[in-house]
Amino acid sequence: MDQNEILATITDVFRDALDDEKIILARETTAADVDNWDSLTHFQLVVAVERKFSIRFNSQEFLRWKNVGEMVDSISAKLNP
Amino acid sequence: MLFTSLTFLAFFTVFFICYWLIFTTVRAQNLFLLISSCIFYGWFSWPFLLLLLGSSAFNYWLGIGIGHTKDEKRRRLLLWIGLFQGIGCLFIFKYYNFFAQSAGATFHFRPDAFLLHVILPLGISFYTFRTLSYILDIYNEKLAPTNNWVSFFTYVSFFPCLISGPIDKPGAFLLQLKNARRFNGEQAADGLHQIIWGLFKKLVVADNCALLTQNVFDHYKTMPAGSLLFGAFLAIIQLYADFSGYSDMAIGLSKMIGLEVTRNFNYPFFAQNIADYWRRWHISLTAWFTEYVFMPLAGRFRNYGKGGLIGAIIIDFAIIGIWHGANFTFLLFGLLNGCYYIPLILRGKLNKKPPTSKGLLPGFRELVNMAGTFLLVMLTVVVFRADSVTQALDYLRRLLSPTILSGFWISEHANIYITLAGIFVLFAFEWVQRDKAHPLQLDRISGAPLRAAIYYSIILFTLLCCASATNEFIYFKF
Repeated sequence: MDQNEILATITDVFRDALDDEKIILARETTAADVDNWDSLTHFQLVVAVERKFSIRFNSQEFLRWKNVGEMVDSISAKLNP
Repeated sequence: MLFTSLTFLAFFTVFFICYWLIFTTVRAQNLFLLISSCIFYGWFSWPFLLLLLGSSAFNYWLGIGIGHTKDEKRRRLLLWIGLFQGIGCLFIFKYYNFFAQSAGATFHFRPDAFLLHVILPLGISFYTFRTLSYILDIYNEKLAPTNNWVSFFTYVSFFPCLISGPIDKPGAFLLQLKNARRFNGEQAADGLHQIIWGLFKKLVVADNCALLTQNVFDHYKTMPAGSLLFGAFLAIIQLYADFSGYSDMAIGLSKMIGLEVTRNFNYPFFAQNIADYWRRWHISLTAWFTEYVFMPLAGRFRNYGKGGLIGAIIIDFAIIGIWHGANFTFLLFGLLNGCYYIPLILRGKLNKKPPTSKGLLPGFRELVNMAGTFLLVMLTVVVFRADSVTQALDYLRRLLSPTILSGFWISEHANIYITLAGIFVLFAFEWVQRDKAHPLQLDRISGAPLRAAIYYSIILFTLLCCASATNEFIYFKF
């Protein structure tokens, strides 16, 4: 799965988890750019992404992401080791 | 030097003139801001200023150590030293005597010999969380350590937010200190309007409520349930008006200095469920705990599904409760709030923000949700406000009795009408302006005379109806 496909998939995950079909994610997107993406929902987005890709992050990883791009890189590294 | 005092007015006037007229370079502005913050804090207590500066220096050094070390073990060790110093200071000044007394009561010994004769340094809970945030963000590689000690010390001791927050994240704040501020009339005027609103909330609403709530809580055993209900209503309004009034002043002062600080309240009484409420109440503290306590906990508990999530939320809120002070009332307050999340988690509604109306009137469902949430937080604030858990439970037991509908009396009638008028103005402005950062952002009104009339009316109302006795801000003691 390439990075664009990963981005498209996590966009769907975000839309579903946050109940907002209007969400559009780019690599530069941060929590500040998405309504309802706050520190409380962040963790649940992480769990939803893990389930979707059948992967698992350690807490160091998901605490360090600064934007969607870094999340995509983490997923990509796990899918294509 | 309370924000509401003439001493502070004189201090800030001199500061404001010098800051904008004399100190125009970034280095001079930051240094002047730091020195002014030290004077502001030293005014309360010069010895504790040394603790503030010592803590800042130690964490500045730790930040550089963590940021410049590649060895993970050493990074982790430095982080733990920082956590130990910050939490250790909080423990000694805030919690040690409480634990010693509780141990004495449990194991039947006199704790007097073990008690420390210390007083709580003002603002320690707030500035310690700033230093912790700084080293944690460096450890988590979200932030590079700053090599500018003046900027870091200014971040920790920034006087508008030093005593009671908001607790700004270091990244956004330090970034603003990298460039010289240029005076922006629009930003300064907006700050001034927010200060006016904060003063109104503190002096008219909170301080007038204080006279009445003190009376109710002091004599609750002799009062009918209706009075206790009214007392609980006034207590939550007082707490909100006091603390959010302080926050409005802190944010407004920051704007006048040319700095944007994080929002602390977002009209919490219009929340439609408890998660919505905590996203709007003391936002900077809740966000701090969510990021540094809830997320690591939830990560560890995630194999347990919704049960793990509930466990993480309850522990998170128990610590938030205890953060407020060393008393079982605060622990119970936190636990109750954590438990209120359980139905939302079980129904999968935690992430979903309820729809809100944009018009003048709320929808029926929205109104019911808001009323239900308000009632819940109003009853819970009795626990927060009471001196002991026993008193809180006794108060609530007497409140939830059949006499609740038999009307109420409060012995001190003098300021009831002014208090209720203040509360009405508070709710009306906040509801109509709920899409704004503060209610006195009147850009929808095109006529300058009408805007000015509203500003001056609020000032006049504040001058005429401020309480006879002004109280220290409630959150100063946390």
